[in-house]
Amino acid sequence: MMRLQFILTKLLRGLLTLLLAVTFVFIVLRVSGDPVSMMLPDDTPPAIVAEYRAAWGLDKTVPEQYVRFIWSALHGDLGYSFRDDRPALTVVLERVPMTLLLGVCGFIITVVIGLFAGIAAALKRGTSVDHAAMAFSIFGHSMPNFFLAILMILLFSMTWRLLPSSGGATWWHLILPAVTLGIINAGTVARFTRSSMLEVLHQPYMRTARAKGLRLTRRVMSHAIPNAAIPVVTVLGLRLGGLIAGAVVVETVFAWPGIGLMLVNAVGQRDLPVVQTIVLLVALTMVITNFIVDLTYGWLDPRIENRPNKEG
Amino acid sequence: MAIEQSAPAARSRWFRLKSAGRPRLLIMLCIAWLILVLMVAIGADYLAPFAYTEQSLLNRLKPPAFLGGNPKYLLGTDGLGRDVLSRLIYATRMSVLIAIVGSMIGATVGTLLGFLAAHFRGIVEDIIMVFVDFQASMPFFIIALAVLAFFGNNFELFLVVVGLYGWEVYARLTRSLVLQANGQGYAFAIRTLGVHPIRIYARHILPNIMSVLIVQVTLNFPELILIETSLSFLGLGIQPPQTSLGLMLGEGRNYLATAWWTGIPAGLVIFLTTLSISLVGDWLRDKLDPTLKIAEA
Repeated sequence: MMRLQFILTKLLRGLLTLLLAVTFVFIVLRVSGDPVSMMLPDDTPPAIVAEYRAAWGLDKTVPEQYVRFIWSALHGDLGYSFRDDRPALTVVLERVPMTLLLGVCGFIITVVIGLFAGIAAALKRGTSVDHAAMAFSIFGHSMPNFFLAILMILLFSMTWRLLPSSGGATWWHLILPAVTLGIINAGTVARFTRSSMLEVLHQPYMRTARAKGLRLTRRVMSHAIPNAAIPVVTVLGLRLGGLIAGAVVVETVFAWPGIGLMLVNAVGQRDLPVVQTIVLLVALTMVITNFIVDLTYGWLDPRIENRPNKEG
Repeated sequence: MAIEQSAPAARSRWFRLKSAGRPRLLIMLCIAWLILVLMVAIGADYLAPFAYTEQSLLNRLKPPAFLGGNPKYLLGTDGLGRDVLSRLIYATRMSVLIAIVGSMIGATVGTLLGFLAAHFRGIVEDIIMVFVDFQASMPFFIIALAVLAFFGNNFELFLVVVGLYGWEVYARLTRSLVLQANGQGYAFAIRTLGVHPIRIYARHILPNIMSVLIVQVTLNFPELILIETSLSFLGLGIQPPQTSLGLMLGEGRNYLATAWWTGIPAGLVIFLTTLSISLVGDWLRDKLDPTLKIAEA
């Protein structure tokens, strides 16, 4: 019973966020000027402008327009891209696989490096391993992603000529952007993993596990990590927003043909249908991820679901 | 075996690179760097050897003095023959200015909303918190890009958009702190005396929660610099002829193969500055209020 209620609450919150995202786009679009003149190229013939006006129901009242806007957004009708006359949604969805590829690779690198560095630092606390891991964490935290990207290009593409620096034609092109994206976020993950592990390592059950004569690997793998996982999962979930923002920058620097590069170009050219489509797509992704993270909590620690929600 | 032995009473924070002598020197260096950056930002007009827009087409892409270039151009010149050092100085001023003004905008807006939520409770609080949740669940960078796309770019709008970064954290923090404070004896006592709520909040509660808010400013500040420089780097922030550290690095990107010195110094300044603020901020937090657990989280 508790579980169903928990899931429903989270689901409602997610839907509310989505509704707010659509509303945000709607309001910004209305406040910033006449949607038709904004959405259509400047040289559109007046007849077509009038046609669009009627089609979008701009003669209607604002609440009616709002409902229509949500209705068409639900149907995936988000206008036509200025650049090629195809639906914005189609244009954007074409780029999704490339962004997913980069994002997933970057994420894996983040998790592997972050967890490894964090666990090593916690186990070897106070040693040079710890110091190195934490120096790396501070480095990743302070390093602007675009500067790291530039340095990577300077070193690996220009000085040593090992890897290609721009485009997405081959697998080789994936390496630099994925590593850049991975390293930037790994620092934060390492830091959280370390503090979370330290918290856990001093718990009585860890002493018990040791007293039972379990090996270090076993103690860490099956006793410490599951218990230390919750804050880390939270951070990974929270980092998704950062990961998306980072992907925008990294894709642009490496000319990786994904959604991020498309967004930056669309903003530069004021291709508003594409911009609003990407914003809504990001909102959808965030909501789904948050939902999954919430469910993961419940799975990792059943106590969370049964805890009454004190804070709003 | 290291696990059990490493449980001293006072747990060191993650940033403290342990052994007593080194961190203090590191922190001193960071503070020195930050003072330098601040002084450069304030005294840009006096320090810059050239006007940052002054072009000299005969002296394009000259290497820095230490690479055998003309000693007149200490850090070389860029693609339009502008002095890199002078541009770096003005770019630093711009980025520091935006970060400082932006921090004030975000902190003011967020704190105010937090107070409103805590004072009125009920529907006002609900509405504010819905927006807080929305902001927290959407990447700020994407929202900023969308606003800049819809409204077009100008300096004032850009400043406000960047400034709003992190407002939701201030709002959430202030709300919970004020709710806590309202329940404490001193707030109750003043309220019983019939003091106006605004006076209670401004004169009594705000000073009490100030230290936590200041900590949040130090956490927010480097991220603000990163947001501004990222947007400018992508060409969607500060527009030429004005310059910022991000824009400089973005422009330098085109000359990476031939004249790396046009962009890399700007990136270095950003990196060293955010690094210094993070380290000094953590250190300050530790010194000012050892009970604060934020650094650990």
